[in-house]
Amino acid sequence: MFINRNFIDAGTYDAIVIGSGISGGWAAMELCKKGMKTLLLERGRDVRHIVDYPTANLHPWDFKFGMNNTNIDKESDPVQSNAYSPASKHFYIRDQDQPYIQDKPFNWFRGNQVGGRSLTWGRQCYRLSDLDFEANVKEGVAVDWPVRYKDIAPWYSYVESHIGVSGQKENLKQLPDGEFLSPMELNCIEKHLAQSIKKNDQNRLLTIARVANLTRGWDNRGPCQNRNLCERGCPFGGYFSSNSSTIPAAMATGNLTLRPHSIVTDILYDEQKQKAKGVRIIDALTNEVLEFSSKIIFVNASTIATASILLNSTSNRFPNGFGNDSEQVGHNLMDHHSSAGASGAHDGYSDLYYKGRRPCGFLIPRFRNLSGSENHNFSRGYNIQGHGEREEWGDKSGHLTGIGKDFKAQLTTPGAWTVWMAGWGECLPYYENTVSLDKSIKDKWGQPIIKIDFSFKTNENDMMDDIKNTSVQMLENAGFKNVNGFNYNKPGGSTIHEMGTARMGKDAKTSVLNGYNQMHDVRNVFITDGSFMTSSACQNPSLTYMAFTARACEYAYQQLKKGDL
Amino acid sequence: MNRRSYLKSLAIIGVIASSFSGYKWYQLHQSVNPRDLLDKELLIAEIAEIIIPQTDTPGAKSANVHKYIMDVIINCTDVKVQNHFIRGLNDFEDYAISSYEKPFLKCSTKEKTSIVQHFADNANYKYAILNKINNKFLGENFFSKFRNLTIEGYCRSKSGATEGLCYDYIPGNYDACIPIKINQKSWATK
Repeated sequence: MFINRNFIDAGTYDAIVIGSGISGGWAAMELCKKGMKTLLLERGRDVRHIVDYPTANLHPWDFKFGMNNTNIDKESDPVQSNAYSPASKHFYIRDQDQPYIQDKPFNWFRGNQVGGRSLTWGRQCYRLSDLDFEANVKEGVAVDWPVRYKDIAPWYSYVESHIGVSGQKENLKQLPDGEFLSPMELNCIEKHLAQSIKKNDQNRLLTIARVANLTRGWDNRGPCQNRNLCERGCPFGGYFSSNSSTIPAAMATGNLTLRPHSIVTDILYDEQKQKAKGVRIIDALTNEVLEFSSKIIFVNASTIATASILLNSTSNRFPNGFGNDSEQVGHNLMDHHSSAGASGAHDGYSDLYYKGRRPCGFLIPRFRNLSGSENHNFSRGYNIQGHGEREEWGDKSGHLTGIGKDFKAQLTTPGAWTVWMAGWGECLPYYENTVSLDKSIKDKWGQPIIKIDFSFKTNENDMMDDIKNTSVQMLENAGFKNVNGFNYNKPGGSTIHEMGTARMGKDAKTSVLNGYNQMHDVRNVFITDGSFMTSSACQNPSLTYMAFTARACEYAYQQLKKGDL
Repeated sequence: MNRRSYLKSLAIIGVIASSFSGYKWYQLHQSVNPRDLLDKELLIAEIAEIIIPQTDTPGAKSANVHKYIMDVIINCTDVKVQNHFIRGLNDFEDYAISSYEKPFLKCSTKEKTSIVQHFADNANYKYAILNKINNKFLGENFFSKFRNLTIEGYCRSKSGATEGLCYDYIPGNYDACIPIKINQKSWATK
């Protein structure tokens, strides 16, 4: 492919944001609202709220092959087709266009478009607590977080108040309450399980999931219509995404320039000023190489891509990658595991049902290793997420036998109540779980191929055993039958919570960012996607990325005003 | 590995080899001509209708389930499954001829039903573990696959979803616990 090597100076901005996903959208909105002329660069195509959700209003019968991906899809997208369906394929990349090397099996699910994976995210919103922020230092693992809960708590509130999170306050130290809209409701079997869990262990409880689905109108969006088709994009704006919220808000300030089809290859370093001066991109449509300059840069490309941009941005000052004096860039890759759990069926409540498709399930907040005096063969913990429902045709097709009238009657009437639940577990930061570049192979843009070397280890595997056994026990205690413990043994990346490849820490020798997501080595560059995570905790991380982004934007703005950047 | 377990493993390999000959493997991996499946459209429609018949609500045939089955088999399943499926349909035809001395489509409704019933009865082993082993080595049983696709095709079709089941396009609210109605149908989607 012909790439035009004549660099074109394409303009100057106050700020450049690389990536328009859940954290990049926040960075763009915050910086624009502060009056900064901001360039938002997105690798993929534009996706406009509502008008670019082609499957959002389709009926089941509008899909010729149902929810089955075609052979061509499965062959050409061997990774992405594990995550998408015909209803959401357009929000995932084509694997053939953007190959990567898996040293060990690793699912890298990517949504390179405006809004990124905020279109398809699971919408779970959980705060981290000091149990999480203090874990590394207490256990002597990796490095200490340079942040404590009190530092980030107001920013959690700030973000929740903007995006709209429905949830139930529970007054738990390990899972702090937030600013909640009224909660979604548990159904009969979930309430039954909740009661049983409460009765059997005073340290455990089951609560409704806390999700960025609106239980009432909010910020000119929603409310959620309980269609449970979120992954297609919501024509009601019933859940938060960059597309439905932060990008339009940034646009409304008049300060935003949104540039899709912009593949960032390098962050450019000014040796004299010892600062970043801008970024270099390849225009994916014209193949032109362009350079943009700015006072500050926010990197929000998602952790694997962010690491690769840093590693690819070499200079005399940074021969091993941009801002990489610590040699930590690309290391400590984490992803939650969500493979182990249990399911079961219950005989009761056969005269009760529900109406509507609630777009979330329940949560059993972390109950392991809260005190430090517990005796388990693993450190850290997990929360359990699941849902209760009555068996419908899709659940019955595996085991319903027979033919004819009776078969049809059984197929089309509500079956037993069932619960499925699994543990979302913390993954420790291991230096050897890495993202690196293989410069011997190039992609179609002439860029080196990303190599991922990741595995879960003993701590995660032992935790999965406990999740499985404990889940089985909780269901059996609640009178469930045919209880089936499972471990799907999904490869890393499958939970789509990659993080950690440019961690924050107190010491520039052992970390990439300081406590304000600012690069130790290049002070006008901020990284606020999952890269900064010093440990993974077990909470779904997007809320934390958003809160740290908003906080970093305020810090950057103040520093800039003072002339310190 | 000691001698005893070595002999045991030889015996197991022997059993697998004898039940799964090279020729069978070769047959399963030959590419399929879609025509072979399209030729059997009427047969597929008849079998599907016997599995999910018209009652006070539409059946598989009027929901065009046969079209769905053919579309999915041709476009969304691998060559092995396709071969398996076509062979299964041939077995169906053979069984009709050997039992009633006429092609399936020429049989009476009662005869057709008893043929489908025969395959349904033999679709699954009594023990789940045997089904698992069978699915792993030889692929999903033809009839199970057929029945599952019939279910999918019917429940996702317009008449199946809106008349056979209960379709709630835009629910609005979520009512978490409500009394079940008399003759309550399942929700079509979740």
